[in-house]
Order: sequence, then structure tokens, then C-alpha cells
Amino acid sequence: MEPDLIDKILEYASANSSYAEARFMDITSNYLSYRNGEFEGLDFGRESGYAVRVVNNSISMAYSNSSRWDDVKRSVDMALERSRFRGKNSIYRGKEVKDSWKVQAKKKIEDFSIEDKSAILKENDSIMKDGGASVRVNGLSDKRIRQFYRNSMGSEISGDISRIYYHYMVGVVESGEFEQSVEHYGASSGYEYIDGLNLQEKIGHDISDLHQSAAAPRINPGKFDIIVGPEISGIVAHESCGHPTEYDRIIGREGAQAGESFLTGKKIPFRIGSEAVNVIDDPSMEGSFGYYRYDDEGVKSRKRYLYKDGMASDYILNRESAGILGVESNGGGRTASWNLEPLARMSTTYIEPGNHGFEELFDGIKKGVYIKSFTEWNIDDIRFNEKYVGKEAYFITDGEVSGRVRRPVIETNTISFYSAVDAVGKDLEFNAGTCGKGDPMQGVDVWMGGPHMRLRSVHLQ
Amino acid sequence: MTSPDLDSLMKKLTSRGFHEIALQYTKTRTEQVRFSQNTEDLHNYWDESSVSVFAAKGKRTVSTTIADFADADETVNRLWEISDRIPENPRFVGLNPEKVKYTKPQDSIDSEYDLQDMSVNLVNSAIENGAERTAGVLYNRSHSITVKTNHNECTYETGGLEVLIRSFRDDRTGQEARHFGKSIRVDSKTIQQIGKGSAQPLSLARESADIKPGKYRVLMSPYVIGNIISYSSDFLSYHSVESGLSCFADLLGKQVSDSGLTLMDDPLDTGGVGFRLCDNEGTPTRKNTLIGNGVLKSYMHSYSTAKRNGAETTGNAGILNPTAWQLKISPGKVDSEKLLSQLDDGLWINNCWYTRYQDYRNAVFSTVPRDGAFYVKNGEVKGIAKGIRISDSVPSILGNVKAVSRDTKTVKWWEEIGPSSMPSVLVDSVNISKGF
Repeated sequence: MEPDLIDKILEYASANSSYAEARFMDITSNYLSYRNGEFEGLDFGRESGYAVRVVNNSISMAYSNSSRWDDVKRSVDMALERSRFRGKNSIYRGKEVKDSWKVQAKKKIEDFSIEDKSAILKENDSIMKDGGASVRVNGLSDKRIRQFYRNSMGSEISGDISRIYYHYMVGVVESGEFEQSVEHYGASSGYEYIDGLNLQEKIGHDISDLHQSAAAPRINPGKFDIIVGPEISGIVAHESCGHPTEYDRIIGREGAQAGESFLTGKKIPFRIGSEAVNVIDDPSMEGSFGYYRYDDEGVKSRKRYLYKDGMASDYILNRESAGILGVESNGGGRTASWNLEPLARMSTTYIEPGNHGFEELFDGIKKGVYIKSFTEWNIDDIRFNEKYVGKEAYFITDGEVSGRVRRPVIETNTISFYSAVDAVGKDLEFNAGTCGKGDPMQGVDVWMGGPHMRLRSVHLQ
Repeated sequence: MTSPDLDSLMKKLTSRGFHEIALQYTKTRTEQVRFSQNTEDLHNYWDESSVSVFAAKGKRTVSTTIADFADADETVNRLWEISDRIPENPRFVGLNPEKVKYTKPQDSIDSEYDLQDMSVNLVNSAIENGAERTAGVLYNRSHSITVKTNHNECTYETGGLEVLIRSFRDDRTGQEARHFGKSIRVDSKTIQQIGKGSAQPLSLARESADIKPGKYRVLMSPYVIGNIISYSSDFLSYHSVESGLSCFADLLGKQVSDSGLTLMDDPLDTGGVGFRLCDNEGTPTRKNTLIGNGVLKSYMHSYSTAKRNGAETTGNAGILNPTAWQLKISPGKVDSEKLLSQLDDGLWINNCWYTRYQDYRNAVFSTVPRDGAFYVKNGEVKGIAKGIRISDSVPSILGNVKAVSRDTKTVKWWEEIGPSSMPSVLVDSVNISKGF
């Protein structure tokens, strides 16, 4: 299906509303997986369709995947009819923008063979088996998104995005104890991304770690100085900074689903932690899993300091939440598919690196724990009360790693966590994820990351 | 796209050389109203149709979804080309070859609803009962579905009304999330009761109770047990069992819960939106007892998993990964109000979310209470239990069930609870953790 009707949709919707947008997305995807040495089949998808958004007394959207004007017009009419109901109708309109953009890929998705994809999965399954893993799941997916956007302000944007995603789950049994690891990698790229990942080494390390962690002692609960690895910095940045600064959450738009924010009712700047803490969301980072030059509402992407020097300092905004706040959108409007509304979403959210070397972080820790990665995690619906269970973790004694510890638990709150940060490392690593939000639920591709960080006097259990 | 296109698509796939084919045509019309701060945010309308395709050449399996039938020839060629280049899928044994008959479901009731009026009614009821502000969503869905395989063809209608409202008063919240299938006509009184129910937890307590981490007797509302059961239903799929990722492995015929607990999958109940007449390979669905009187009776099976396990399909395909359609815990003998009044020292938790596992094999998880968690002493709510988490395991929760309420609710909430019918459940020795 091609976007043949997009101009006609915009013309018709614009003539009957105070503001209108038309969007067409065409998404092709492939997914292959291996489970415990067995190939699980291949799924390929192609979906495309139109979304129209109109504003009159309220905001209304409709979606159609028909290529017939009569069908599409019926959907647009449904949106127009409902836009005359009561409701909220603030929306940032902006100026005319005309541009096109594309993710550059060296090994293009369409040129990378099924045999090569299958071989990657099979090889990684073999590495897991050789490492003694009893549970082995490997999945590889790719997708290409072609997008066309028009609005009644005259904007015309087209985008062509290529994304690669690899995930695995591995489980081992050691002395009757089970340990598991789930990892996600992704990028806006071609298949050259997989070449540079060095997955075999990562998987090998992970399995070795699981065997050792399964046999490690549990912690005696108490207060410890801790060092967290980039994987934990990333999930913390995502869960307790990115989500609570989404402005649609702050004003209650997600209240019955993913919830609101501890920043609801607060004025920014608002202190959330020590001055060492800076958290950024940056959709303009080329190659990142959440990269885009223009968001799904035709607004140019930009880097945003969500937390600056320990203070909440900015929001993630889409057109609707910017309209309510009375400011310009900062390019955070994202949707997971052609038939879903754009919401205020994260892209690449990370704790900004500081100036401490990895070894320096250990200096002066008499009794501590180094938690390099995590397994279970969750957070309450205002993004304040959170839990992270360590996966690869070590005791620290007098500044030195002194043995493994099994599943140490950080159960804290956002301000306590960020307030305990006293040193931030120079390093920076990212993991991929799929961020869920909205009703219907929509998952968007994101990176989350950060450096190693030192936190003082944190209760572990 | 129209349903008769399935015949030509089946012919194309068969003549291309595929041995086993399962097609599922879905035509959906959905209307939605989202609201927050007591006012509508967005009206949404979807008009979509597509065909999902599963095709096998021997044990080489491919799947896709066709949204534009103009692409059908290209898609068939692509499926065939792919099928020659992928490894065999040992998990696929075949589609259910048995010629079957389908039961006629209860007649649908005309389900035209004015969601705009309904949302106003819902919000007003919550406000009249103590809410300062509300957020939520209403859906009215209609799905026309045809499943066609080499062996069978099944057509049915499903969908219904979903009503979600969350009420807020300062930092207190309450929530109701209900679903009603096509055989139910929802009147304004029911909507008012849902609005009122969402506000009910707001007035139960104002002060916080000092809750220490430890083991508690917990009265879990239909939303809490619904969440835990929804998140753990995959463990009852034989796909998870044979993958080494189920806490129910090797427990068939063994006691896994109190004798008062019976868990079923009941997709034939047209009172819920989880109604479906057949599974994804055309097997008629049926009411399956998964846990009967505390004993693990059955795993969920497709034809392929059943053959691998030496069992019969239970009509839960997912051709490769069986799944639950509409879970139910059978009613017990005591009203939930009485269970609360008899709670001498424990917690009553009204809802939870963000359930995550640190260990799938042993089903070790935590979940975060919301929308009302209270400390109860001698049957009376004494205060709000803030900042707590249920940090436990599914075997432990099921093993410590002490009572199941007589009253049940149809519950379905966002990504957290699949379409279900759940009672309140009293569970002993639930591990409660808390942040520092």
C-alpha cells in the first residue's frame, strides 16, 4: 500500500477542522527465533495505513488501512463527527516544515539473508548450550518504517527508518539453583550493528556469571556503599526520570493506565537528587535504537536535559501536552504504528557521564557492593517507589572486589536513589528496550544507559 | 478485504505447495473515548481488517499478516520463497486434522453505546462518591472473525464493552476495570456502580499505617489475583513447560493450591470480551479446568504441543505457543465483605501492577500495589499501607490460599489483566517488602 490518499485526506480534514494532520506509515518486519536448539519459525509482517487527527471542540483521531477513498473518508468523517463533541482541544501547531530523512544502513535489511540471520541465532544457541544453559531463547528482528506526515500548517515530512533488534534469555541450574538473564540489543542501523555487537563474548560472559551467581551467598540486609553498572544507571534513568517527566503523565493523561508522576503539582526546577546527577533524553543521537530526526508529529528532535545538576529541569512534550502547557513541542511525539496516537515518549534516556574513572569509584569504600546488572525490577505508578534486583553483583571490601553476592535488592525511592549519588563515572553504555505506554498499549524502541555510579549508604536486602 | 477472499488465498497457498494452512480473517470496528481530569482527551475510531496466515511445508513454518489483499500474491510468493530457506521447526507437528462442529453461541445483543454519554455518567458517579478527579477509557469493540484451515472453518462475532475508571482524591486512588461481552447489555445503573466502585477506596482511610516488611495474611481483590493469574498463565502453557520455564512442570495431578481453588479457562462465556468459538487452528474452544480443587488438572495445549505431550488439544492454540483466552476462578462460599470482616490482622489490597519475574522457572516475582492497600485489624481498616510490594512466588501464593469469595467480577485492565472473572482470595504468609 502506498500513501496515495494522504493529500486528499489532509485536504478534506483541513476543510472541516481548525487543525488537521494526516500520517501514513508502512512497516515491514521479520522475526526469527530459536528455543532450546529448535528453530521456531519465521514471521514477516507488512502493515500500512493512515491516521488522521482533527481538532475542533475536541481532538479526535481515526485510522484506516483501506486504499479506497470511500472507506478512508468514512473514517475521517467519524473523526470529524467526534471532534465536535466536548473535550480538550489544545494542541501545538507550529510552523511549516518540509524535509525528508533516512537512517543510513550499510548492510540493508532487504539484502541480509534469512540464512545469515538463522546462522546467528543458531551459533548463539550453541554457545549457550556449550556453556551449560538449560534454557535458551534467542530472537532476532528487523523492521523498516516508511513514514509520510502532512499537517494543515503546510508541513510535509517523510522518513525512512531501519532498526535491528536482538534479544536473548538464558537460564542455568547450578547446585539445584536456577538463575536467568534477559538481554536486549538494538539500533537504528543496518545489519552491520550485529557485526559490532560481539554477542558471542557477551553471552559467554553472561552464562559464566549466572553459574557463579547461582552458587553465591545472599546478602545480610543493611546499609552499603554501592557501585551500580551502566545497565542499572540506564533503567533508573528510564523509569525514574524519563517516565515522570513525560508531561502527559504529569497532567494525568495516563492516569488510569501507567499512572501519573511524582512531579505532578510540582514546579520545575525541582530537586530530585545530588548535583552530580544529570539525565538526558536525546532522540537526535544517530544510530541509537530510538533515533529520529523528526518525531511522528513532524517536529524536529532535540536533546533535552530532563534532570540538570540534581534538579528536574525539563519535560518530554508532544504536540498535545505542549499545547496544554502553552509552549512549543520539543519533539517527543512518538507512535508505535500507523493505527496508534502519538504520545509524549522517551528515545535515548541516559545519565550523563561524569569525570570518575572506574577504579576511582571504588576508592574509600570499606564495605560495599558492586551491582553490575539487574534482573527483576518495577516501580510504582508515580515513578517514585522502585525496586532493582541485582544479577551480576560482588561484595566490595576496602576498595576491592571480594566475592560474589546473589540477587541483592535495592528497594528505594527516586529522590533517595539520586540523592545518594556522589560520583559518576566517565564511561557510557546503552541497552535497548521497548517502552510501553498508552491505551491501546504501544511499545516504542528506546535506548537507556549511563555510566557506572557510586551511591553512599544504600539499604540492600 | 472481505471474508470470501479466504477461499482464494487458501487455494493460492495450497497450489503453491504448502501442506498445512491456517488463516484468520479479522474485521474490527472499535470506538474509544479516553478521559482524564474528568474531561475527554481523545475520541478514537478504528476500522481495520486483516488476515493472519500460518503456513507449513512439512515442518518448515512461516507466518505473516496481510492487511492489504492487493498484496496477497506477492505475500504468497514471499512465504514460499522463505519456506525453502529456513530450518525445520521441530515444535510443529501439524494442524488439528479432526473435522469438528462448533457450538452456536448465545445470541448477541445490539451493542450500540453512546460512549460520550457513558463517560459523563461514569465520571459523575465517581465524583458524587468522593473522587476529586478521574481518568479512564471506554471501548466498544466489534470483531468478525473467520478461522479457516485445510480441515475446518469457523466464523463468529466477539467483542463488547470495556470500562476503566481510576478515581483520585489527593494522593489516594481507586480503580475499576470491567468488561462485558456481546450477550450483556450494560445499562446506566451499571456504569454508575462502576464509577462509585472506583471511588470506594478513597474514603476507607486517611492516615498511613506503619507496615513493616514481613509475612502477612492478605485479602487480594479480583484485580490483584487477576493480575497474578494473568501474568502467570503462561506457566500453564505446555510450551513453557517443555521450554523449562514453568513452575508447574511435573506437577500434573498434584496439589498446587488449597482445595477451595479452581482455575478454569472459559472462552465460551459470551458474558466477557474473551469469548471465542475456536482457537487459531480451528479447534473448538471449551471450558478447561486447569487447577481443580487445588490439583493441577491440565496444561493448555494446541494440537502440536498436545501431540508432543501425548495429550489432547485443549483448544488453546497459539499454534506453537498455547495461550489462555478467558480465565476464571470459581466462586467460593463466603462473601468478600465477610472475608474482610474476618481478617483479624492483615492487609487488603485492591489492585497491583508492574508484575515482574526474577526467576521464571520458580515464578519468583514482585508486584506493586495501587488503588488502595490497607492494614486491617479485627476486620476494620486501620490505615493505608504505603510503599509496599508483594515480593513472593506463584507456588507460594497458590499454596497459601485460605479462602475464595462467593462474589466475583469480570475484570480486564490494560496490559495488566487479561479478560477474566475473578473472586477475592484470602492468602496466608504473603511476603511483603518495602523500600528504605
